[in-house]
Amino acid sequence: MNIHEYQAKKILSEYGIKIPKGIIAYTPNEAKSAAEKLSKTGPWMLKAQIQSSARDKGYFIEKDRGEGGGIRLIKSKKKILENAKQMLGATLVTIQTGPQGKKVNRIYVENYIKVEKYFYMSVAINRVKGELTLMVAPLLYADIIKVALSHPERILKIPLSIAQNTKPEQVKEVMDFLKLPPRSAKHLENLVNGIHKVFLQTDASMIEINPVGLLKNGELVALDSKMSIDDNALYRQVKIACLKDESESSEREVNASKYKFTYREFDGSVGCIVNGDGIALAAMDMLKEKSIGTACFINVKGGVDKDKIASGIKIIMTNPRVEGILLNILGGFVRCNLIADGIVAAASEVGLNVPMVIRFEGTNKDIAKEILENSRLPVIWADSMEESVEKLAKAMEEVS
Amino acid sequence: MSIFVDKNTKAICQGITGTQASFHIQRSLEYGTKIVGGTTPGKGGSMHLNLPVFDTVKEAVKETQATASVMYVPPKAVKVAAREAIEAELDVVVSITDRVPLKDMLEIKAMLKGSKTKFIGPNTPGIITPKEARLGIFPENIHKKGNIGVVSRSSTLTYEGVLEVNRADMGQSTVVGLGDDVLIGIDFIDALKAFHDDENTKAIVMIGQLGGGFEEVAADWYKNITNKKPVIAFVAGNAMHFGHKMGYAGDVLTNGYVSVLDKADILSSAGMIVVDNVNDIHLELAKFK
Repeated sequence: MNIHEYQAKKILSEYGIKIPKGIIAYTPNEAKSAAEKLSKTGPWMLKAQIQSSARDKGYFIEKDRGEGGGIRLIKSKKKILENAKQMLGATLVTIQTGPQGKKVNRIYVENYIKVEKYFYMSVAINRVKGELTLMVAPLLYADIIKVALSHPERILKIPLSIAQNTKPEQVKEVMDFLKLPPRSAKHLENLVNGIHKVFLQTDASMIEINPVGLLKNGELVALDSKMSIDDNALYRQVKIACLKDESESSEREVNASKYKFTYREFDGSVGCIVNGDGIALAAMDMLKEKSIGTACFINVKGGVDKDKIASGIKIIMTNPRVEGILLNILGGFVRCNLIADGIVAAASEVGLNVPMVIRFEGTNKDIAKEILENSRLPVIWADSMEESVEKLAKAMEEVS
Repeated sequence: MSIFVDKNTKAICQGITGTQASFHIQRSLEYGTKIVGGTTPGKGGSMHLNLPVFDTVKEAVKETQATASVMYVPPKAVKVAAREAIEAELDVVVSITDRVPLKDMLEIKAMLKGSKTKFIGPNTPGIITPKEARLGIFPENIHKKGNIGVVSRSSTLTYEGVLEVNRADMGQSTVVGLGDDVLIGIDFIDALKAFHDDENTKAIVMIGQLGGGFEEVAADWYKNITNKKPVIAFVAGNAMHFGHKMGYAGDVLTNGYVSVLDKADILSSAGMIVVDNVNDIHLELAKFK
């Protein structure tokens, strides 16, 4: 689960990390009074709160949304209301949102802070080594992902302990690598220990402070932040779980998550029903080979309840993009007969109006076949994943 | 011969009295697996599925001389169960549970450093040596005895790999699912090493996927060994744009950007046979009959 910038910053500040003063606003008037509360003369930052990188380089779909993207520096008080009106309710498109963009429902009003230099800091998990990693890099206007690709040596990576604070020599290493002035030493120690602690105590899966700003007096300020929390630990992060912004997901995604099914949307035309992310990936690869795109997939892994499975399948059947359904179930834990019951229940409620190819393998496969044959639903049978993709491609061609 | 488990492996089940555990342990017993007991805290001294139940792994090991465990416990309980199993110095521990918190896995990874326990999973279908031992949730009827090793990160693609071996009219020495999660216990290198040490394994099917760097480090290991056994590899996720929610965001930063095509290139330049379509595996396997 991702949280918004202002929420992440609030958490960081609770762990002693310095952030610019800011107030969240849901209406242009709230933005105006927030700005007045924060400072008499400005300047201020207006920041669209959608969960995406590169909001500053984004653009609004609607016309007449003024100069600038999702992050704006405002120098005069008069301009706050105007800009807040332009941003709130508009749809921001960034490199991460896809062409449909995301609606801006709240903006964060912040005091602008002048800094001497910027750098990048994050904590993430190195999967191969199975350990926490602190990463820092000087920033020269380049996107950190681009730096990671072209100049990995410009990123310092340090393993962090899961039981203890960051070691003083590690902080020293970061100091030297970033060539920070000696007056920043205490502030850096505070920052590194802060992000390290936040990561462990909030069950984060990744925290990014991009950028950290260095002030003239040596202080370090988190100017922007992204934080992802481990979905599997939300049960013990009750306070953070409440921050979930459902407007960030489609209605179908929200629905699927109620049943704990993984559901993903893309821009193609086939709906996939699977019982593992790996098999979804492999099916999408095969569809792509036939120049067919995937509209969505649902992973009903772990589904042991017919009604839940039916609800999951309905999400696929009712997605308007879906022109064909590909079902690949390799039953181990999931029993094929329950999936078959789910298909019949879902189809009787919402109808099956597109070709559907089914391939069952494993636990209770024969019972599943019998259930569907008795239902007289016009499904097409396949014996392998490859055959299922071929048959669906053919059936979709015949329909069109 | 096989890797990690065979007909002589004595195993216990942690969380044996649960519904899913009972269903799968019963099937494993019918398959011939030497399950010798189980644990459920608070139910020690009772019998379940005609097997003795203990409160702790330590007691169970003392009484039964088990060397392996399969855990069917809720996500919250995995860390504690893993600690018990690792402290009891079991050789093999299989964790079926999915949705284990990342931080708990970080702690388990730390416990495993310097320990002899091979921790398989979490979020894995487990390990199966056909006709000998099944620790997990595999649909046992698809497996055939033979000399192809199968190792995969994705659960469902593990089954797909097994079916490909069957299609080539061959069978499996051992099949091991590494697990689908961000953090896993043993990795490709552990499995490949064991398959190389196993006389009965003639060739290996390895199924990787987008994200993580597990395939790349395995390629590096494979490149540098002599007496290579043939490895037929497939990497899923080519159709997925990187940066989509499927990937783990930290991957790019910790490992550098590696697309599925890059991964496939790295595997093939290390000497593995890489197929673009999972259903082409059997064609390559047939060449090693």
